Amino acid sequence: MTLSILVVTDQRDGHLKGASLEALSEARRVAAQAGGGEVVAALVGSGLSAVIEEAKTRGVNRVLVVDDEHLRAFSASAYAQAVSRLIPKLTLPWAIFLPDSALGRELAPRLGALLGAGTATAVVEIHADPAGKVTVKRKVFGGKATETLELKGTPVLSLRPNSFAVDAPAAGDPPVEKVELGALPVHAQGVAVEKVVSTRGDTPELTEAAIVVSGGRGLKGPENFVMVEDLAKVLGAAVGSSRAVVDAGWRPASYQVGQTGKIIAPQLYIAAGISGAIQHLVGITNSRCIVAINKDPAAPIFKVADYGLAGDALTILPALTALVTKSKGP
Amino acid sequence: MDVLVCVKQVPDPETKLRVAPSGKALDTDGVKFTINNTYDEAMVEEALRMKEEFGFTSVRALSVGPARAEEALRATLAMGADEAVLVETPPGMELDPLFTARLLAAAAADIPHDLVLVGRHAQDDEAGAVGSALGEYLGLPSYSFVTELTPVAASHQLKMRRYLEGGEEVFSGPFPAVLSILKGAKDPRTPTLPNILKARKKPLKKIPVKDLEAKVSVLKGGFQPTSAVTSFTLPPPRSGAKMLEFQTPEEAATKLLKVLKEEAKVL
Repeated sequence: MTLSILVVTDQRDGHLKGASLEALSEARRVAAQAGGGEVVAALVGSGLSAVIEEAKTRGVNRVLVVDDEHLRAFSASAYAQAVSRLIPKLTLPWAIFLPDSALGRELAPRLGALLGAGTATAVVEIHADPAGKVTVKRKVFGGKATETLELKGTPVLSLRPNSFAVDAPAAGDPPVEKVELGALPVHAQGVAVEKVVSTRGDTPELTEAAIVVSGGRGLKGPENFVMVEDLAKVLGAAVGSSRAVVDAGWRPASYQVGQTGKIIAPQLYIAAGISGAIQHLVGITNSRCIVAINKDPAAPIFKVADYGLAGDALTILPALTALVTKSKGP
Repeated sequence: MDVLVCVKQVPDPETKLRVAPSGKALDTDGVKFTINNTYDEAMVEEALRMKEEFGFTSVRALSVGPARAEEALRATLAMGADEAVLVETPPGMELDPLFTARLLAAAAADIPHDLVLVGRHAQDDEAGAVGSALGEYLGLPSYSFVTELTPVAASHQLKMRRYLEGGEEVFSGPFPAVLSILKGAKDPRTPTLPNILKARKKPLKKIPVKDLEAKVSVLKGGFQPTSAVTSFTLPPPRSGAKMLEFQTPEEAATKLLKVLKEEAKVL
């Protein structure tokens, strides 16, 4: 019998997002860890031909597709129904992985409820033993504690972005099978999207970016915030801010990192001119490496940071931008 | 229109965390519990705003938890909710988000609801899983991370905005429905003293969790958690930043990029 891990990807914007690539890569590692098994990509949505080709390059054994006009707008209910149509195509369904994106976070519990399966969101580690038992780790209490969970049934897991390595694309031509959506229950019908409003232009999304550069009131005025954006640009990073910056109207609320804003977990977080109020720290403690730049060496941010520069962000930011630009060459 | 708000009492975010002797949970001995989850307060405010703006019939509050969770419901009543129901769990009973969703669904079946609202997530387990699971168990649509909400009663439609990576989606869908509220139109109100006193006299019904066993047993997953915490650990305290010494901004930049590349290996 072949154990199967089904990976439901998120391609709301027309291609496989970073977090979906992490889920596909981690599924391969977990399958290997459990002594072999197949990784099946599940593509659910409408107008998926380009994404199917993208999924085929990700080292998966098979691709299952539910491509239907009724799935054009995201409805957790309809998408859960669609994924459930794929389960009979697996010899021995073993686990279902999703990215912990906005879509995955909503879909995973709904799917878990539909299947009556153990469900965990925002997992950061997955272990499988050869007997098939799945345990996961997740951060709780704003990153101040870690819990290990054992899950029953065919576990449904959403994987926190930036927590798993992404494998390079692999050659191969895995078979693609299309599955009919069929009739949907009433609660899975009737969602219509009028429009999508972009709030961030070309910069990466805060919750998914590998690097985030944030600015605070230490930048003195809105005209200096561009220094944060310049450094972010050369690093390919997302831009965030403290609550004070949003309250002062320098930047819109979508920039705010912290308890009442975005909770992020990048590989590298650079806080410039941010003193480190508790409500901000809660949003960043899961970052792998934290750099603090602040004039006040006693600022609380230095207690949680890995590296500290006690100095003026207004001079250090431009120096960093210049050096990164130089090191990248012409 | 009737609105049902689901709230959860959580430990105070400032509380010092300790591991229970079992090694599997937070040691709640001596822990101060907040009246309510911050995200729930924003969600309750949104429910009250709609009641006032659109003349809804009622806002009722529902919670699953031990006897102390009554405090969270009283606080919700003090904000302006009309009635409350507590599904009371015995001490030591283990729950997980989907089991909680099943208990909420069983209790909600007897409470009128056109809209069921939950917060973005609870500040303790940060699972954010109850809302859409509750939708599935109630056989209702679910909409998550909602940032704007306008009901159109005549057509039984909701006009909404929801967060997605890089922006927001303007969309519509039918109700009755379950919604997770990312942020409301207004900051949560602080209950006034007269309203706190009034809240003590508002109806609050307690349902022992056992009374829901038959209803919950027929739902997928049954009358039990489908996940179990096997360990709960605290990371070693951060030792504080390694401070880099420098004379000029250029030196600061050079030293920082060097450690990020060679030591932290994040560049």
